[in-house]
Amino acid sequence: MKLAYYPGCVARSTGKEYELSTRAVCSALGVELEELEDWNCCGATHCSNELLAVGLAARNLSQTDLPIMASCSICYSNLRIAAKRLEDHQVREKVNSALDKKYSQAEVKHVLEVLAGELMGEENQKKIVVPLKGLKVAPYYGCLLTRPKEGMDSPENPRMLEKLIAALQAEPVNYPYGMLCCGGPIFMAEEDAASESAFRILHSAKAAGADAVVAVCPLCHLMLDAKQRALENRFKEELDIPILYVTQLAGIALGLGPEDLGMEMNSVSPTRLVEEIYERLAAETEC
Amino acid sequence: MDAQFKEEVLKLAGDEVKNCIQCGTCSSSCSTAHLMDNSIRKLVRFVLEGMKEEALSSQSIWLCTSCLLCTVRCPRSIRPKSVVAALKHIKEQEGGKNKDQAFEEMFMRQIRDCGRVSEFLLSAGYPLANPMATVQIMTMGIELLPKGKIDFHRDCVRGQDEIKRIFEELKEG
Repeated sequence: MKLAYYPGCVARSTGKEYELSTRAVCSALGVELEELEDWNCCGATHCSNELLAVGLAARNLSQTDLPIMASCSICYSNLRIAAKRLEDHQVREKVNSALDKKYSQAEVKHVLEVLAGELMGEENQKKIVVPLKGLKVAPYYGCLLTRPKEGMDSPENPRMLEKLIAALQAEPVNYPYGMLCCGGPIFMAEEDAASESAFRILHSAKAAGADAVVAVCPLCHLMLDAKQRALENRFKEELDIPILYVTQLAGIALGLGPEDLGMEMNSVSPTRLVEEIYERLAAETEC
Repeated sequence: MDAQFKEEVLKLAGDEVKNCIQCGTCSSSCSTAHLMDNSIRKLVRFVLEGMKEEALSSQSIWLCTSCLLCTVRCPRSIRPKSVVAALKHIKEQEGGKNKDQAFEEMFMRQIRDCGRVSEFLLSAGYPLANPMATVQIMTMGIELLPKGKIDFHRDCVRGQDEIKRIFEELKEG
């Protein structure tokens, strides 16, 4: 399989380990990634002019004939919304008048969809060389992976992460805030509101007994991982729960090493978890 | 009743906004509703009643995280998040600058000028508009710098002219 990869702006800075682990896991699975030609920012959640947002996304969508894979949920949602809006003849004509390469059609995927396709199901079980047995993982969907509706999974009751976690032989943890917004889009200007949401998610995942949270978006990851120490100080509660990108979690199961997956870049170190996975695996092999 | 304001929002957010039955599903789905001065349901009402001043001065429009749950759930297929976006857009057109607006503007200016966003430049520049954000930005910087996750290099797209044209030709919304 060959895909056009849309990294998004964050991949080069606060989401570096997401990009690194995305490339490593896709390479291990034989999914060829070709970086989208001269890609631009999608506007994230900060473009109040919706037609302009469609235009920015359309420029990305018109750069390739390959299916486009995004790893950031915000980019992914924006590309999907744009592809939908561009079905409208009037919108397409207006947008195309501003583009060098005209938009005709596009297929948009999220890296989670690609991983699910490559790792779920009986036939893919042999790819899991390091089963994540005994690891309790809280699936964190956030908002835009499944929204707007008609995407890869139900926007109310998605199950794709649970299924992937189970396919990797880890245990999905049930907790109430797996789809609560992390507050990321407003954290710069409205820190109090954003912190409250992020803390609620972490607190509930921890209370449900999770060893780690799995994230599918770099902004969610930033809120839950890079800001975790600040949240601990603010809410006077120890959290200390590693937040793994879905590509890092899958990468461990594929036998990739911490450096392949950028794990030293996580704020809350997942090293202990990985060691425990290998210790359990070793103990089992000895038996 | 400001009919022109109402029409402008309907043009941007969709004519179906008129179908609102004020059921409050949007407000009850909103993750920041408890912090808002006016619920999202009320904002829609303000729009339909042409109450421009009340709608545009509400702090609620800056607490929307764009999570789209309201939009997924609306039983009348309205996109309440798009109503919020329309209000932000109108406010931007009319000038004025609060700390939230300043961030959105800085973000979009970076795209217009370069095609991509540099988190470093955004974080370095934002405290000038919102000094209250300085501490959290510094704290974040201290966290991210040793991890090598601050990119000081600004990577811009080659198709600058095309980006400028997209902004120019689609600015009306």
